Formats: sequence, structure tokens, C-alpha cells
Amino acid sequence: MAEIERVLAPASLDEAAEALAAGEATLLAGGTDLMPASHAGKVRFAPMLINLRRIAELSGIAVEDGELRIGTLVTIAELLGDEAVRERCPILAEAADHFASPQIRNAATIGGNLCNASPAGDMLVPLLAAGARVELASKPDGTLVRRVLPLEEFLVGPGRTRRRPDELLATVRVPAAAPDAIWRFFKSGTRPALDISAVSIGLLARKAGNALHEVRIALGAVAPTVVRARAAEATLEGRVLNPETMEAAACAARDEVHPISDVRASAWYRKELIHNMLRRMLSDVAET
Amino acid sequence: MQIIARETLIGKRIAKLDAPEKASGKTRYIHDLDLPGQLYGKILRSGRVHAKILRIDTSKAKALPGVHAVITAADVPWQRPIGVARDHLPLKTDRVRSPRDEIAAVAAQSEEIAQAALRLIEVEYEDLPVLTDPLDALAPDAPLIHPEPHGADGGTEHLKPGAPVAYSGRPDNLAMTFDYEQGDVARGEADSDLVVEDTFRLHYVTHCCMGVSGIIAEFDSSGNLTMYSNTQVPFLHKREFAEILGMDPARIRIIQPPIGGGFGSKLDIYPFEPICVFLARATGRPVKLVFSREEEFLASPTRQPVILKLRSGCRRDGTLTFRAVETIHDNGAYTSWGATTPFVMMQTVSSLYRVPHCSYHTKAVYTNNPYAGSFRGYGNLQATFAVESHMDRMADALGIDPLEFRLKNAQDPGEVTPQGMQFKTCGLKECLKSAAELGDYRAKRRAYAALQAEPGRFKRGVGLASMLHVGGGAKIYPSDGCGTILKMDDFGAVTLITGASEIGQGSETVLAQLVCEELGLPLSAVRVVNNDTEITPWDVGVHASRTTFIGGNSAIGAARKARAKILDAAAKQTGLPAQALDLRAGQIVEERSGNPLLSLAKLIRSLHFSDKAELVMTTHYYEPPSHHQDRQFKGDVSAAYAWASQVVEVEVDTETGAVRLLKVSGAHDVGRVLNRLGIEGQIEGGIVMGQGYALTEELIVEQGRIRNPAFRDYKLVTAPEIPEIAVRFVETLDGEGPQGAKGVGEAPAICIAAATANAIENATGVRILALPFTPEKVYRALREER
Amino acid sequence: MSPKREIAFTLNGVPTRASVSPELSALALIREVLGLTGTKLGCGEGECGACTILVDGRSVNSCLMFALDCEGRSLVTIEGLAADPLGARIEQAFVEAGAVQCGFCTPGMVVQAHNLLTAHPHPTREQIRRGIEGNLCRCTGYFKIVEAIERAAGAQE
Repeated sequence: MAEIERVLAPASLDEAAEALAAGEATLLAGGTDLMPASHAGKVRFAPMLINLRRIAELSGIAVEDGELRIGTLVTIAELLGDEAVRERCPILAEAADHFASPQIRNAATIGGNLCNASPAGDMLVPLLAAGARVELASKPDGTLVRRVLPLEEFLVGPGRTRRRPDELLATVRVPAAAPDAIWRFFKSGTRPALDISAVSIGLLARKAGNALHEVRIALGAVAPTVVRARAAEATLEGRVLNPETMEAAACAARDEVHPISDVRASAWYRKELIHNMLRRMLSDVAET
Repeated sequence: MQIIARETLIGKRIAKLDAPEKASGKTRYIHDLDLPGQLYGKILRSGRVHAKILRIDTSKAKALPGVHAVITAADVPWQRPIGVARDHLPLKTDRVRSPRDEIAAVAAQSEEIAQAALRLIEVEYEDLPVLTDPLDALAPDAPLIHPEPHGADGGTEHLKPGAPVAYSGRPDNLAMTFDYEQGDVARGEADSDLVVEDTFRLHYVTHCCMGVSGIIAEFDSSGNLTMYSNTQVPFLHKREFAEILGMDPARIRIIQPPIGGGFGSKLDIYPFEPICVFLARATGRPVKLVFSREEEFLASPTRQPVILKLRSGCRRDGTLTFRAVETIHDNGAYTSWGATTPFVMMQTVSSLYRVPHCSYHTKAVYTNNPYAGSFRGYGNLQATFAVESHMDRMADALGIDPLEFRLKNAQDPGEVTPQGMQFKTCGLKECLKSAAELGDYRAKRRAYAALQAEPGRFKRGVGLASMLHVGGGAKIYPSDGCGTILKMDDFGAVTLITGASEIGQGSETVLAQLVCEELGLPLSAVRVVNNDTEITPWDVGVHASRTTFIGGNSAIGAARKARAKILDAAAKQTGLPAQALDLRAGQIVEERSGNPLLSLAKLIRSLHFSDKAELVMTTHYYEPPSHHQDRQFKGDVSAAYAWASQVVEVEVDTETGAVRLLKVSGAHDVGRVLNRLGIEGQIEGGIVMGQGYALTEELIVEQGRIRNPAFRDYKLVTAPEIPEIAVRFVETLDGEGPQGAKGVGEAPAICIAAATANAIENATGVRILALPFTPEKVYRALREER
Repeated sequence: MSPKREIAFTLNGVPTRASVSPELSALALIREVLGLTGTKLGCGEGECGACTILVDGRSVNSCLMFALDCEGRSLVTIEGLAADPLGARIEQAFVEAGAVQCGFCTPGMVVQAHNLLTAHPHPTREQIRRGIEGNLCRCTGYFKIVEAIERAAGAQE
């Protein structure tokens, strides 16, 4: 583990981006991933450590243009307790309630969770289902520039994202749920939280009568990143929910993923869970 | 004058004496203790499953500034083997047999420097074939885990007389065997109308004490050794360390700081302890060695995994005829208490319910897997799992109600089992009926069985199981006794100096309670001293649920002697006979009327400050009236036995396999409830430990390696998962027990898994023979059945 | 070893300064630099809750926090809770309810309970269980800990 020579605590996004442009840095938000990784020897600290906590632009939740704009320093606890989130993206609030522990929720940030890019990322599944985009900021040539990426483009692999070394994750933008939206979230395990799930599923769609439109199904822990179950979505798009379509969707989701077997679950069981739980979620939606 | 009525503390809810300190964070556990000038010890572990050590180079580590000592086996040629079978050298010489094997150790001025030094130690290995299946290890051509030891260079120079050897090597991988017979199993089988047979698989779990293992060792200028240790058996360890270190036992002192959990994990000597002493000797400084949590998972003993084949028989009318058990115990790389769990397992197999004919055989086999130690229940969870599974199977096969089936075979007070256990008190029948009533067992079992075939995602079921365990100590050492010294000061305050250790189970509070009951004092008048071998009298240690029974009787003995002395003196002063007097609320009173006559403190002072000056100081050593087992494992090994029955209600999610524990209804024969608050705490904690064993905990061992050495993937039960509980206490008032009480520490953990297996069968029609019942395993079992 | 930095923060109400290396955790700051041993190291990975402290009024796992991040913040450890009426009530309730056995998890539980009762003065039993889901206990089975927290909540009237 290399030595940290300088520690910065910039007060603005501009200052932070400037520092990043000057050289490689390790970014500190809540620290809930960085600290254990450091102890395990899995992280090489850059010579500069940037503590982001003072940057006001990175905190706060706003509603603009029909979108939730969530600062990347917003903690999971703040997300859980925020009325705008509960109203406009309830699936996100639900996932936050199943995240780690109360203590970790008080410290962990949405930005950190995004940059950690875990294949089982608790917040990543609902964000993907909701069609979230991430905004990255940098100062490559002396002026602050921003770019926006859909989440599926941002996430590349386990622990890997499209964030360049000179970029900061600034906000997460989540489209507000339509009035006829339905959502469901499932995380496997015997505990409500404090669990790295064997699988997790996020379902978001618009319901007209008994048919679903704009179906988005996100799956966690069955691929190198959280992924959309596109084949399953296709079987449901515009279709009425009945036992046949629900079973078809469940089978499609099961067949389109290729999970690994690890200490948490076997590939077979993960597929079974995807099948059974997606069908269960759809049947729950059909009944309401 | 105020009349003082007789009051009793027995059965009351009494807060633990050390709770205020603990709740305010003031208690200093071993991790919180620092001695001036101490160094920090760290151990280099092999990381190899099975390999020869070709070369160890510690030169770079030694050269690191801040490092005071780096030692390997070569630096301690006088080291002696440790462990139950003396097959375990603290620092390994020529080979390693598991990834946790200790190769070298460092003492440095900080933990960081010690860790850095470990990384600088160079070791060259030559891998050897790995044995991870005990059945493979039994094959005639299997590689040997403990062969004739050779030096790293292939030589045998180090085998010269006096040089330490793990032991002289074996021709096979058999570490221990146990064989027990009662009656004639062949006849029992011939007498049976029904015989069932199953092979059960019991898995690896580990203690997960919240406080990790640690030790501080310090030599004084005369070469006397003091160890700050969390051992549960300080006096046994004093003697064993003397042997291991080649020291006079009188020059070893063990001090026990408050412990962050025991559960049986600290009943054997493990390499890190003598290694810390070696470092203290090498550096001349105190050395503190504390595990990381990962190390705690990797290097602590586990519960004994067992492959258990059980054959059970009964007559058509439901009378049990025989049980025949064969087990394979995976002994791991070295032998610890796990190998001796057959002592307890055969008690359950032979005597849980009345069985005339029984045979029990265990082979404990060396492998390169983790090794097992003692763990709350000590083999009884495993044996009960099998026995109670068959009780349900046989009952169902015969069409007899499972509660009736058990009651029919349950023993009564006064029975002596073929193994020689005398059930002077026996509340088994009452426990069965009580638990069944509390859990609405009969009605629910019928109702849920009828719903098995119905469509539906969630299925509920109830299961019943009982347990038998020692409740009055276990005479496995030459003595099962405990000593107490009691003194009273001039103000009527008592200091109780007991050999019994407090490991969080509340023994200290119970002992104070028992003394106060004899001397008519409030709890605030008693201080308990119990953690220093230089001060306290001998006690064999905290295990076998013995502390309340034996430590309690010892304390009562000393207290009664004090009481007799006081009342004799009071008789002289009051002119009334001693029998007419009583001690209440710090006063000597007239027994019948409650009239206070004399202040206790004043009486004591009058004894002290007189011509024939005397202090009130008494001692008592209590040896329970139990017997050592003979060579056939027969004998009344405990002074009392304890029973419990539990009804467990579960809900199985057939779409995920997740099993939710809804309710545990239990009835416990505890002899007598002493501290109601404390005993509830033991029961509740034991139930949840049993829940973990049944449903969530699994140490995943693959190819000799532990794959989940962290709480992230080793799942302890968390608060949202606990069930509803209902507990009833059956008070059979044991004649030998202190105020009639029997031991209870292990009981509540013992039959949860067994009852859960029966409950899952009631819910789904599927009987699962292997633990744990994790979602994936249950799901698989349900699918396979379809 | 990285060069140390000076930080200033409030600890149990007292303005405090310390010199820390950047990699140091808040837990190590509290236990090793400041010598307050009430907060425990249980796992070092944020899975057991034994290291729980309050930072600006919210409970966090101090083993996951960088000591540097304590700059300018208000920390409360178990040692500081007895001085607080709610803290004292919780400690008393733990003692009376029999919620303490080996006691190792207790400081973390008490601090977490404080956070819970501050946010939810009258929690349901379910809320209490969820509220301590990040705190592991091996001795009690949690029953009396939940009771203790209920008792402390009830005593708040």
C-alpha cells in the first residue's frame, strides 16, 4: 500500500476537479468500501487523498425537469428518509431499506456505491431498473465540463466503471416514476439487510389495464455488473399478465443469465431464484 | 423494633453484578489491557494445506527496525507438543498440515511493524497430496497426515532422545476410536418390528465469540510466568503449560480478564498461547498477541463435524429396542476436544429415552481440514439430531403420535440407564408435555401435515425434540470439584473467592445469590473474586454446564460454615440456642418471630476485637458424588442430569427454500430456578445459537481451505431473525443441586436443529439429513423430492 | 508509514486534537491514540457493530471511518453516553433487563440504541430489531436487548 503524501479537503466541485486534473488521487466519500479494502491490502493509495465531504454541490436531492438529481455524497440513510425519493422513485427507497446496516447507511454514499460497482450492488439494481444516468465532472483544460452516461454504460465490470482518473461522479439522475408505474424489489436471503444477496431483482414498468409497458427488469449478482433482463422484458412488453406470459418471462430471465457459483450460491440456485422470484413479483403485480 | 421477615432471593430476577460496568464500556477485556513495555506478537501461518517445509529465512524480518524477535521451531528446540493427543507442536518443524499452521512468530514494538515483519519472512514449501475427505483418509494407501516425522532435509537427526516429536507417527490416519456396547444389539434388532437407518451429516460451525482470542505473557525477573488468558480452565492450563514449557507449575500464574465469550472455545491449549510465551521469553518483555477476526475464523477450533450412521429399531407397540451408531469424525490436522465428543454422544444414543440395546462406534480420522474443539453441547447437537429424527420416522411409520411415542419411552425419576447414569430427578415427561402444550404441537402437526400436498408458496410445520445432558458436572478429570474461600469483614461484607470462572453466563451473580441466601445479606454485600490462580482455590473449569451446580455447592458449603460460626457466637451472646436464630438483612434475629437481636457486623467485630480474636473466614471444597466411567464408558458420570424439550414452528418458502423460525416453545428441567433473569438469558442465547446451527451458520471448507472467514459470509443470526419464544421451567428440585438447581448452560442449544428437521418434514414431507438448512440446501432437497 | 496530520474535533463534548496517519481508522484513533477502550474492535469490516460510535449525532461503524474524516466533527463514544440522560437510561435498562452477558457487544448496542431512540422515540418491536440488525451478539439471542431498548423508550415519558 503506497503512502499518502497529501490530503485535500476541497470545498467545491471545481476545486476537487482541479486537484484531480493535476494528478491521480484516491477519493474518499463515506469510506465504507475504501477502509476495508485498504485493510485487506486491496487498494493502492495514490499519493493524494481527496476527502470529498465538504463539497456542497455533491450533497442534496433536487427535483428538476421530471428527474431526481441526487448528489453523489447523499448517504443511503438520507435516501431512505427523503420524501422526494419515496414519492418519485420508491424502488430506490425500498432498496435503501435493505442496504447493509443502519450504521453503514449513515455513512455510505450513493456515489461510493456506484463507483464500487459491485455485481450485487444493492442500489445499482433499482437505479438500473429506473433508468438512471450518472453525471461526471472534470476539468481537463481549465474549465469544468460535465458528461452524462446511462448507468449501463457507466458500469463496466466488477469494481470497474467508465470514470476516468480525472473525473468525479457528481450526480445521479433518476427519471421520476410515471403515475401508472408499478415497481417491485426482491433481495434474496434470510435477513432483511446485512446481506450480500445471492440475487436481487428490480422491476419497473407502467401498467395499463392488465398489460405492462416500458418494462425494465434489473438483475444483481448474476453477471459481472448489474444487468437488464432484456429477453424477459421483451416477452412482457405490451403483453397482458397471465400465467403463460409470466412463466415465459421467468424462463427467459433464467435462461439469459450465466451466473457463477461461489460461496454465496451456486449458479443453478441463482437461476432458480431468478425464475421463481420474477414470476412471483409479476404475479403480485397482476393481482394489484 | 421492626420485625424482619424471611425473604428469599431464589427464583428472583437479579441483574448481573458486572452488568453496569459492561454497559458503560468500563470493563477491560484482554484486548483493552496493555502492560508497560509490551511488545506485539503476530504469527506467520502457512497458507498451505499440506506441505513439507524446505526452508525458512527470517533474516530480513529480523533486520526490520522495531522487531525484537523472530522465532521458528529451530529457536525453540525444547518446545513440547500440545493438545488432547499431544500431536501438535506449536511451531511446526518439518511439515504443515493445514493453512492455519504456525510457522514463525514475531514480537515487535507495534502491530504494524509485526505485520510488516511477517511479510518479510521467506518460506519454501514442497506441496504434499491433500486429504480432505475422511473416508479417503481411511483408505489403505492414503497419504499419512502424521507419519514418522523427518527433518526438513529428510534426516532424522532431530529424533534423538529428548527432542520433541509430535508423537512417534502412525501407520494410518486413525486418530482415535471409541467403542461402546450395552445389551445385545443383534438381539435388539431381532426383537424389532421396525428398523430404520439413515446417514446424517453434521457440518462445520465455529464459536464466533464477539471478543477474539488473545493472550498477554510476561516473565518477571525471577523467571515466574504470568499469563493474562481467556482460558476456561485456568488450573488445568497452569499444569499443562508447566509441562509444555518445562517449568515448575508453582511459577505459573494465570489471570483471567473478563472474557468476550467462551462457549467451549477455550478449553484446550492452542499454539498461539505457548508461542506468545516463547516470544516473551525470547524478548524479556511482556508480549501481547491478539487475533484479527479473520485469524479467529481461520485458526480457532470448530464444532465437530460428524458423518453419523444410525440404525434404530422398535416394536410395533412403540417400545424402543435398539440403536446402533457408527460415526466418522473428521479429526482435521491435529487432535483437540472434538475427537472426544463421543463421550457425550454415546450418552444421548444410549440414554435419551429408554433403549435396552445400543452400540456406538466412532473413528476419528486425520485429514488436512480444520480441527474441532469443544463447543456448547459437545457432540450432543449432532447425536440428538440423528436420534430425534428417527423418533419421528418410527412414530410416523407405526402410525403412533410422535409425542405419545416419546412419552412411552421416556424415563422416570429413579431410573438407572444401562450406561449407569442415575436419573435421581428426571423431568423428561413433564418437559415433553409442557413443550407440546406451549407449542400447540399435536393440533398443529396434524393440521400442517394435511396441508403438505396443497398448492401454496409457504408451508408451516412443527417439530418436537428433547435432549439429555449432564447437569451436575462431568467427572472426566481426576476431580470435578471446586474450592471456595469466604471471608467476612468487620462491616459484614463478604468476599467470595471462588475457583469458578465467570464467562458471561452469570455464575458470579448466582454464587453471590446463593451465599446471600445462606447469610441473609443483600447482594450489595458480596464481592466475588474469581480470576487469578494465585489467589483462588482450584476448580476444574467452566465446561459441562457445571459451574452453578459445583461452584454453587462449594460456595454454599463455605457460607454454611460461616453461618454456623456466626450463629454459635450469637447463641453465646444472646443466650438462645443457635437453632432458634436466623440471619436476615444483616441482623441476627429470632427465627420464629423475626425479632432482630444483634447486628451481624457488630457480632463480627466483637469476635475480632476480643481476647480470643477470630475472623470469620471459611473454606469448602465440593466434589460432586459422581463417578468416573469405567473402561467400558459406564458409570454415573454426573451428579445430576438435565432435560429439555422444544417444539419448533417453521415456515418454509418453497420458492426460495428459506426457512423462517416462527416460534420456539421449550420446557427445561433445571432442577430449580435460581436467578430467573440469568437463566432466561442462557435459554434465549442457547436457542439462537441452535437456530444458527440449524439454519444459517456454515463454515465452508473446500480442499482444506475455509472459504468464508468473515461475518460477511459466515452468517450469525441477527436481531430481525429471532423467533417468538415461550419457555417453561420444570423444577424437579434435585437433592444434590444447590437449592435444587441443575446445570443449564448447554441445554437450550442442543435440540433446536433436531426439532427444526422434524418441523421441516411436517411442513413439506421432506426429511433432510444434513445441516444446515440454508435456503439453497432446502430448496434443493424439495426439488429432489419432486 | 505516511506522514501524520493534525486533526481537531470534539470528543464526548471536549475539544480534542490528535495526530493521525491518513490510513488510520477512527476506531484505532479512539482506542489506540486516545486510549478509550470502551469501543470495541469486533471484526474491522463493519459487519458486527461492536465499534459503533455517534458522529454528528448519527451512528456509524468507527472501523470503517477514516480518522482524518473526524476533522471538525462531533464524536460520542460509549464513555460519553452515561452523561446523557437518554444514554444513562439505556445503560440502566440494559442492566435491569438482563441484556448483558459477556458484555462485549454491549457498548456498540447501547450507542446504536441511542441513535435509534433519538430518531424513533417510541419504536415498535420490529423497528427495534431492524434498528440493531447491524449489531451482532452471540450470548443473549437479542431478546433482552430488545426488551431493554423498549424499557428505555418507555421510560422516556
